[in-house]
Amino acid sequence: MIQTLREVLEKALERLSSQIVTYIPPLLVGMAILAAAVLLARIVRLLFSKAFKGAGADKFLRESGFAAFLPGSVRSGVAPVVVGAVYWLIPLLGALTAVNVFDTRLTSQIVEGTILLFPKLIAAGAILLVGFWLAQFLGRSILVWACNEEIPRPRRLAAAVRVAVVFVAVVVAADMLDFAERGFFSAFIIFAGGAVLTCGLALGLGARDSVHRWLGRNSVTREEEKQLLNHV
Amino acid sequence: MANELGAKACAVVDSDLRSITPEWIDLLIRPVLHAGYDFVAPYYHRHKYDGTITNSIVYPMTRALYGRNVRQPIGGDFGISSALVTRYLSRDDWETDVARYGIDIWMTTIALAENFRVCQSFLGAKLHDAKDPGADLSAMLHQVVGSVFTLMREYDQLWPHVRESESADVFGFRYDVGLDPIDVKLDRMLRTFRQGADDLREIWALALRPETLQEVMVLARQPMDEGSFHLKDDLWVRLLYEFAAAHRFKPLERGHLLRSLTPLYIARVASFVIETRDLGAAAVEDRIEQLCRCFEEMKPYLIALWAGDGAVAPPGPPRQTAEVAGQGQRSQMEA
Repeated sequence: MIQTLREVLEKALERLSSQIVTYIPPLLVGMAILAAAVLLARIVRLLFSKAFKGAGADKFLRESGFAAFLPGSVRSGVAPVVVGAVYWLIPLLGALTAVNVFDTRLTSQIVEGTILLFPKLIAAGAILLVGFWLAQFLGRSILVWACNEEIPRPRRLAAAVRVAVVFVAVVVAADMLDFAERGFFSAFIIFAGGAVLTCGLALGLGARDSVHRWLGRNSVTREEEKQLLNHV
Repeated sequence: MANELGAKACAVVDSDLRSITPEWIDLLIRPVLHAGYDFVAPYYHRHKYDGTITNSIVYPMTRALYGRNVRQPIGGDFGISSALVTRYLSRDDWETDVARYGIDIWMTTIALAENFRVCQSFLGAKLHDAKDPGADLSAMLHQVVGSVFTLMREYDQLWPHVRESESADVFGFRYDVGLDPIDVKLDRMLRTFRQGADDLREIWALALRPETLQEVMVLARQPMDEGSFHLKDDLWVRLLYEFAAAHRFKPLERGHLLRSLTPLYIARVASFVIETRDLGAAAVEDRIEQLCRCFEEMKPYLIALWAGDGAVAPPGPPRQTAEVAGQGQRSQMEA
């Protein structure tokens, strides 16, 4: 029994030492990489905060109206946000590199997934931001136009336009992220189809008399032409 | 065409005039040919309710900005010299709003800002075809006021240094004329203003200072009584100056801002009509002169806004304007 226990213990210790030999070196290397990344991030933050004031970016955000959608900390100045983003990006890249050092299937999948997702996240964020801005811009255009034309309930019309544009932006962003794309896209098709059908009905019913008059005029013209040529 | 033909002078007149006489051409061309002027602006008798964009916005602003008292800067009838024709042709504004309703103020402003010799000719009465009621007032305001603000940006090294205005010489023999009456629907104008205040507050907030916006909203919430509605001169001046500054600093919102001016402009016209309905032509001219002085006295406020000084406090009403406004209110109450 003691012999069996000793064999089990020896096997366990052997496995443990094998795991330690396999994973401790990459772990130490990973920690060193992460520490270096954090140090580098601090140095870059110091240099960047001195070099980048962001006056041009602040002016653009203010004049374009994008500032209205951004949180208060960004609205008051872009420079701290950019510096902060750069600061956190470097340790994140360091962490990915550290994870990649282990060179296992799982860690490779994690790194690959993160690297592939990151640009899509940026693109989807940009699409949403532009979508919100466009919704506000078009909403205001409709509001001013409807008010000057004395169309009833201009604010509701403007709100409907805003909702429609934001919805389209959400559909496109979801498609970019491969997130519930079928659901969003189907909803978009139903919405767009409904809008086109409504406009078609409104135009058709409203222009019925005009079409009737146009057809009547054309048939009179053809009759007159026939009579003109009768003598030939 | 004048440039191609090598003409020394060119007269331009509105195509819808009913009061034009052959003497108009002489009055527009002679100061150019014989007195060396480059730009001859018209000077007319108009009905007190005709030319409200001129009386409320373009004339006082042009006078305050460029320091020349040209009474009809967008009259539509001009005489110009070959030198000025060449200058107009050298510019590249023909695809912008200048080529539409803004053409008149563009011509006048270039002549004033670039030191061409400017005078006025008295042409008598301006009678023209009635405007189509369906014509788009907001498009006209957008283009005319937009041109004024755009030219402010172009000449912003010049107009902040202009302190006073001086009169432009007037040619021609002045005489009194009869004018066609103009019908004004006050109740509809006041309703349009109130509805605009309800719907466009968020757009106005892009341009107006909070205190100015607050005053406008208080005015909109008052009972729309045709006897007492009054948009003060200093408030009107502040509105325009703040819109001008917003036009400069918010390029992507310019279209919205200009089109949203329509209800404010209509309120100003309604106020002017109420104040002047019992006044004769001379008294109305005095009233407009008062407005012009208000524009000039509040110009430092415009200069501060233009420089991006967000901390500048809106000035109070000029003393003379406050006294005469008080007199106007008292005379209305007595009536």
